[in-house]
Formats: sequence, structure tokens, C-alpha cells
Amino acid sequence: MLDSIPSFARLVAELSKFPGIGQKTATRLAFFLLRQPAVEAEALSTAILELKRQIRFCSICYHITEQNPCGLCTSQSRDESLLCVVEEPQALLAIERSHSFRGRYHVLHGALSPLEGVGPDDIYIAPLMQRLGQGDIKEVLVATNFTVEGDATALYLARLIHPLGIRVTRLAYGIPMGSELEYIDEATVNRAVQGRREF
Amino acid sequence: MILNNLALLRFRNLIEVNQDWNQNFNIIWGKNAQGKTNLLEAIYLLGYVKSFRPARHHEIICQHEEQAFLKGQLTSQGVNHQLEIKLTPNGRTLRVNGKPVQRLKQFFGYLRPVLFTPEELGIVRGYPAGRRSLLDRAILHVEKNYLDYYQQYERILKQRNQLLKRQAREQELQPWTVALINAGVQIRHSRIIYVERIRPLLKDVYQNIVGSSETADCIYSTIQKHEDELKEEFAAELDRKHIKEKQLGQTLVGPHRDDLDFYVDGQSLKTFGSQGQQRSFLLAFKAAQVLDQQMLFGEPPILLLDDLASELDMERQSRFVDFLIKQRTQVFLTTASPEILAEAVKNQAGYYRVDQGKINTLSPE
Ligand SMILES: [Zn+2]
Repeated sequence: MLDSIPSFARLVAELSKFPGIGQKTATRLAFFLLRQPAVEAEALSTAILELKRQIRFCSICYHITEQNPCGLCTSQSRDESLLCVVEEPQALLAIERSHSFRGRYHVLHGALSPLEGVGPDDIYIAPLMQRLGQGDIKEVLVATNFTVEGDATALYLARLIHPLGIRVTRLAYGIPMGSELEYIDEATVNRAVQGRREF
Repeated sequence: MILNNLALLRFRNLIEVNQDWNQNFNIIWGKNAQGKTNLLEAIYLLGYVKSFRPARHHEIICQHEEQAFLKGQLTSQGVNHQLEIKLTPNGRTLRVNGKPVQRLKQFFGYLRPVLFTPEELGIVRGYPAGRRSLLDRAILHVEKNYLDYYQQYERILKQRNQLLKRQAREQELQPWTVALINAGVQIRHSRIIYVERIRPLLKDVYQNIVGSSETADCIYSTIQKHEDELKEEFAAELDRKHIKEKQLGQTLVGPHRDDLDFYVDGQSLKTFGSQGQQRSFLLAFKAAQVLDQQMLFGEPPILLLDDLASELDMERQSRFVDFLIKQRTQVFLTTASPEILAEAVKNQAGYYRVDQGKINTLSPE
């Protein structure tokens, strides 16, 4: 039925690519947009374009940012000797929300997963090692997710970092196995950061 | 633990069932291929989510229908619970007490069925996988974290095998080997503890049911105790097989390859042992599970016995029934000849006749 209205069908097809959005919801959203005044639709499309135009990865920590280097990397009030490694920007935001960490960050943008073809060269491990080679960092807190892949990535990093004489720590347990940091409440993240332990 | 009511919609040939059950013995009788075993399967599914028969969801759902429903109402430790499973060709949804649950783990532990079926007899002499599964299913309901360990281990194993297949660098393989050891040791540790706990029970029960002085025993291949020792041991095993693993592109040692050995009077049932001994052993293993749960939770599990009458002679049957009555275990039992059991269960039983997918509360005349 939608095939006869190509512009509508195209929007539905695009919207149904969103996580958690199926054909049904996509159709509902498309009808909603159709009823909106043209300015609203323009505002939305501009916002999407801006997102792609303005946001890039910080060249130091690989967090998402509009300014390079990002605010977290340029801030004067953060502890230079502490570095927290996360899988995704969402995890960084979860740790920031918990107010439990005052060091700097590094975002890997993934975790090791041979089944999905993700090896050490496919995530930002090399720039991390470069940063560590500069000598200011005394402790790396590995805050990868509590999944099989997150754990293996942590083990891999610990083995790479140890020979540099840098302390490597891991978030304390208490976060259920199989969970991603972004879905954990602030108090629990706070406890996990405070209670971090030597690898 | 008592299953009070079972409601089914479009589950195999059971189009619509809503049945209250007897607290003691439920004798499900009727001709073959009428749906007796399907009933046991439905109860089993509410405990394990996975069937004991190899089947995909769409095969369990009654033909030409889109979904099947299962609902069980039970009382465990004085509390009533309701378990629901909805099956569709694309998957399943689980509910506990009306609330949807995402993780399998949250569904487990309410209904803990122990199943005995003639098809399982092959396990005694068959491949190690069957005996491992027997053990794993037993532990699943008594150790809360076992499912987690198991799922983690399976995932790590797949990841590691992928690297072995690709001839990946040692450096890349290493974290997965460490992860495999950590998760594998948890599984072995749980298995060792369980087997040690069940051995004396098995020995007792075997003598009580068989009525002979034979000694039954089961031994899990690793017998050391401390987790650190187990880690060293597993690491050494992997080390020894390392070259071969790389050649074959898969993990050759670990909990996924371990075996559980069954013995009667010191002789392995894998090679020795009569049919009768194999049957008695398996039954004793299940009875030991009943006793173990009784000790752990203060109540026995429910017991599902598929076609028991054809498997045991009269004397063993009545000994086994006596045992179950003494344990106050709720039993669901299928048979084509209910009259044989009548004497043993006396008036503690409810009779249910299954005929072409329909259940009638009816005693055999
Ligand atoms: Zn940055």
C-alpha cells in the first residue's frame, strides 16, 4: 500500500532502522511528521544534519565532541595521573553522572569480539597505548562492560599496560554480569568506581 | 512444591487444557500417542523453558496456529506463584506472577521438575554429552549462578574457537584463554560440589530401590577442590593441547568435554552393567536429586515419570513409589496400564485419562 506513496515509504524505511523501532512505530512517527508544520520537519532535519556535521571524535580521548580537543581533555581541574577506559561514550556519561571519577577518559568504541570480527586493531587501543607512553598516567581504570567481551578486552589491556609500570584497576563487582554500564544506576556505578581493585 | 493447576492453549495436540492436580500422585493414562507425554513436556517447559525433546518453537505450537500458551500455578515454600510462557515462531515471552521477565535466570527456580523418561536410558552408555547434560540440568535448579557461568563459558568458548580457527596471534588468544579458565573453573567447581553431595544419597537410594547390596557411585573426572588448584589444572590441560588445538581450530579440553562416570560395585556402567542396572542407576540418580532438593530447600521437587511402568518390574516400582510417598513428592506419571500401579499408590492418586489431546478426570475400571 505504501509503495504507491514513495516519499512516505522512504521515510518509514529510514525510521525503522532506529534501534527499538519497528515498521508499525515508524509508520506512526511518519504520520506524526506529516501532520506537523513544515518548520518542525525542517528543524528536525537540520538537527540531524548538524549532529553529523558538528560532532566528531576528540583526537585525544575519542569521546564525542564539537570542539577538539574536548572539554574533558582541556579541563584544568581533572587529575592527569588517572585514566578511565570505556567501551562507548554512553559509558563515559554514566560514570560522569555518578560523580565518582575525576581523572581523564579514553573511549575504545567497541570491545574485542572475534565472532563479530572485532580485533585489537579495530578499536582505539593503539592511540591509548600512545597516550600511556607519554608518561603522565599512573593508573588506568578499565571500565569496560561486565560482559564476556568487556572482560576479555580488560584482560587484553591489562597485559599490554602492565609492562609499562602503570597500575591497572578494574571496576569492583556488584554490577551484574552481562550488563552494560550505561544502564546501571549512579549509586552502583559510584560504588564500583570507589571499590575498584588491582587487576 | 506443588503444581496446583496447569493451563495450556495450542500446545502440540493439547488445544485447550485447564486442569487442577492432585497433591500426591497424578496418574496420566490412556493409549499411546494421545498427548500424555506432551503434558509432561509442558510441565517440564515451565521449569526449564527448553524442552527435553529436540524441537523448535514452531513444532511445539499446534499446527496452523500462531502461538502457544502455557501457564502453571504452583505453591512453593508456602507461597503461590504463577509462571507463564508464550511461544511464537519467532521466540518466547516469559512471565512470573504476571510480570514479564527478560532473563532466563529470573524465571528459574520456581518450578523444579525432575524428569525420568525411557529415552534417557541411552545416556548411561552413550556419549559424555548426555551425562554432562544430566548433571548440568540437575545443578541448574539448585545453584542460582550456574546458568550465568554456563552461558558465559559457552560464549567465551565460541569466541576462542573463532580465534583458533583463524590462527590468530598468541597475544590475541591469550585473554580468551584466561577468560575460559576463569569461567570453566566455576562450572567444574559447581559440578564437583554437586557430585560430592549427591554420591552418598545415590548409594543409599540405589540399595533401597534395587533391594540389593550393590554399591552405586558416580565420579566426575576432576576431583580436586580449591579453585586455584582447578585453575592451574585447567591451564595445564590447555597447555598440553595447545598445538593440537591450533591444528584443529577448536578448544579440546574443558567442562564442555568432561565426563561423568557411573559405577555399580566398582564397574563402569559404560561397558559393564545390565539393562536393569542402567535403569535402576538412572532412577536412583533422579531420586538422589529429589533428596538433595529436599535437604536444600526443605521441600522436594515435582517428579515427572514418563512411562515408568514399562521400565521397572513390579517390585522396584512399588519400592520407588514407597520412596516417593515417604518424601511427599508430587508425581506426574504417564502409563498405558494404570491398573498396575493402583495397589502401590492406593488412594493417594488422581487419575486423568488423556484421549486425543483431551483430559478427563477418570479412573480405570
Ligand atoms: Zn577528549
